[in-house]
Amino acid sequence: MAFNGHQREDDNSIDEDETPSKQLRSNNETPPGHFRNEPNNEAAAPAGRATSDRRTSNSTTRHRHDSMKKTRPPFPWFGMDIGGTLVKLVYFEPKDITAEEEQEEVENLKSIRRYLTSNTAYGKTGIRDVHLELQDLTLCGRTGNLHFIRFPTHDLPAFLQMGRNKHFSSLHTTLCATGGGAYKFESDFRTMADLQLHKLDELDCLIRGVLYIDSVVSSGLSECYYFENPTDPDRCIQKPYTLENPYPLLLVNIGSGVSILAVYSKNNYKRVTGTSLGGGTFLGLCCLLTGCSTFEEALEMASQGESTRVDKLVRDIYGGDYERFGLPGWAVASSFGNMMSKEKRESVSKEDLARATLVTITNNIGSITRMCALNENIERVVFVGNFLRVNTLSMKLLAYAMEYWSKGQLKALFLRHEGYFGAVGALLELLHPS
Amino acid sequence: MKLISEKKPAFPWFGMDIGGTLVKLVYFEPVDITAEEEQEEVENLKSIRRYLTSNVAYGKTGVRDVHLELRNLTMFGRTGNLHFIRFPTQAMPRFIQMGRDKNFSSLHTTLCATGGGAYKFENDFRTMADLELLKLDELDCLIRGLLYVDRVGFNGHPECYYFQNPSDTQSCVKKPCTLDNPFPMLLVNIGSGVSILTVYSENNYKRVTGTSLGGGTFLGLCCLLTGCETFEEALEMASKGDSTNVDKLVKDIYGGDYERFGLQGSAVASSFGHMMSKEKRDSISKEDLARATLVTITNNIGSIARMCAVNEKIERVVFVGNFLRINTVSTKLLAYAMDFWSKGQLRALFLEHEGYFGAVGALMELLKTTEDP
Repeated sequence: MAFNGHQREDDNSIDEDETPSKQLRSNNETPPGHFRNEPNNEAAAPAGRATSDRRTSNSTTRHRHDSMKKTRPPFPWFGMDIGGTLVKLVYFEPKDITAEEEQEEVENLKSIRRYLTSNTAYGKTGIRDVHLELQDLTLCGRTGNLHFIRFPTHDLPAFLQMGRNKHFSSLHTTLCATGGGAYKFESDFRTMADLQLHKLDELDCLIRGVLYIDSVVSSGLSECYYFENPTDPDRCIQKPYTLENPYPLLLVNIGSGVSILAVYSKNNYKRVTGTSLGGGTFLGLCCLLTGCSTFEEALEMASQGESTRVDKLVRDIYGGDYERFGLPGWAVASSFGNMMSKEKRESVSKEDLARATLVTITNNIGSITRMCALNENIERVVFVGNFLRVNTLSMKLLAYAMEYWSKGQLKALFLRHEGYFGAVGALLELLHPS
Repeated sequence: MKLISEKKPAFPWFGMDIGGTLVKLVYFEPVDITAEEEQEEVENLKSIRRYLTSNVAYGKTGVRDVHLELRNLTMFGRTGNLHFIRFPTQAMPRFIQMGRDKNFSSLHTTLCATGGGAYKFENDFRTMADLELLKLDELDCLIRGLLYVDRVGFNGHPECYYFQNPSDTQSCVKKPCTLDNPFPMLLVNIGSGVSILTVYSENNYKRVTGTSLGGGTFLGLCCLLTGCETFEEALEMASKGDSTNVDKLVKDIYGGDYERFGLQGSAVASSFGHMMSKEKRDSISKEDLARATLVTITNNIGSIARMCAVNEKIERVVFVGNFLRINTVSTKLLAYAMDFWSKGQLRALFLEHEGYFGAVGALMELLKTTEDP
């Protein structure tokens, strides 16, 4: 796609009106600290070529962006991903509101903005992940902060109720939503809150969101990272990774269930396969086996347990390694295999069971991923999805497994915004319809 | 062709596969014993033969699968019946004890054994019963045993079968087949854990991959979730349960099909996904949990097997191993999954002697036999 640096009325390109990506760093005058010190990366963001009439995003030059007003949707700007377990919501809070605009702003829009930004918890189960907030982002000619909010899909009715109470529908804004719930709850949005959803495919949004966030995240806090020495607790560290020339990429989205995608370019990907043994399986089994009720509780227990008491290892069957086929004695031969013995069942703790569940689900995903990477001939695997939220145990396991079983050929990568990319992709569709 | 001039190994002829959960034993009972031979036969050998063939249960947990007996088989110039016996690996000490009590070592027979336990219990055999094991690789034996049994057939009937119309519960029917031109074949061995092999010829194969979510996982999880204690109990419960109460389906998330990627509403999106809700946990039965465990493990194996078949470019997938013993739910599910997800390109095949091929292969190593017609 060729860019000439000029702005057209119907221009849908996001280059000049967006937070410039790494590619433009050498030519802009924006203060340092906002952009990453990365070499040009055409593939990561559809940014235009840097030219001398490069625009910066401060308020004095905002008038130049008003020609975009026609195509800019009205506030509020949301992107929503209604998944099997969680609803992910991204909200753009404009910080460049002029006195005039503020005066004209309708009451409920102001109230929505205040409610969202002055709280970090909503109702009993809504949470704003403040540590993930992206500040001073430029989207569609406006500057502001991008907020990341989540709540259980189970509480969607309460959310719809709130939307109705705040007369959200009177704002005539399009609500871009992805995830299965965009389809499942479409009529509920209409009947309960008089809201029309613009439904989007979850995998399209995922990829769009991943590519966008990686390209705009400010320096100092790389979006993409990997683990060095994943199994050594003393030496294991997180290291930043550049996703330049990201293609081809294997993207593993671990939500309630798992989808594995091979991404060849921004607009060219395929869903290779999936597995139903995902985050929902981990949580569901843990609740049943240990009596816990939340993801956080389950992880807490798992961190204290020992899965080798629950699993049958190669050495339990062979008395050592199964050398012929390179299976070390410590490898798991049969997950939960010791639990057919009453004696062993009585000797394990809830923590051991939680740990075994985590290890089993994680390793299964790792194994399937590895097979896909091998068959698709792809070396880089990016793991996303909220199963990995606050779950360093699984991330390190995945990092280790990828490296070990592929003899160093594969690398496991992770992204800080984990499960929010679908919602980001939905927001981008609102602002830049494809 | 009678190999009269060849030195035959001394009776008794056993093949043993000591797995993670079960010990599989095959025993060749000669029926062509001459009066002279009978007279010379030592007492403990006679006693072993009588003990094994006149019982169908041994101790508390040993079982002889009579329905699998191969009758009037000719092996290494002798005619006899091949018996199939199993007992839990946990009972191994008792078995070795019995070997000592019956003075097995005095028979100077080689005991061919495969499976991990052949390595793990090697010392115990030596110290407790003065028996030397001839250790063999489990996958070598599996393939050798499988090809042999398929060749000799099951008392005149085919050993191999598949399901016709697996996607239709009404017209789904078991049909026999033979493994002629069997290569290449994808072999999926579902024991405590799972090994997946690509077999190019009798002596040329590779272990493609494996998964630790196998029969042991099914049984272990079932025991934990339902309080059952045996494989049979677990299957019994599973046969009565409804896994869709436990699993989160595509339609639970999408309200219908996920059309874009061809995922039907009835497909499982997240196994056990409903169980994070207390309300749902309180509303399901143990049978539902057993069924969900079975379906989850089976479908995961099917999915991995399918990926391997596609990558290895093989159309026939043979499933063996004792996870499938008396487990029609899983065999039909595997048949369905292979057919459905491959749009009819792949076919799942099964074998009647399921989990015994390793032991048969070990017996054959003892005999290094070519079978007589």
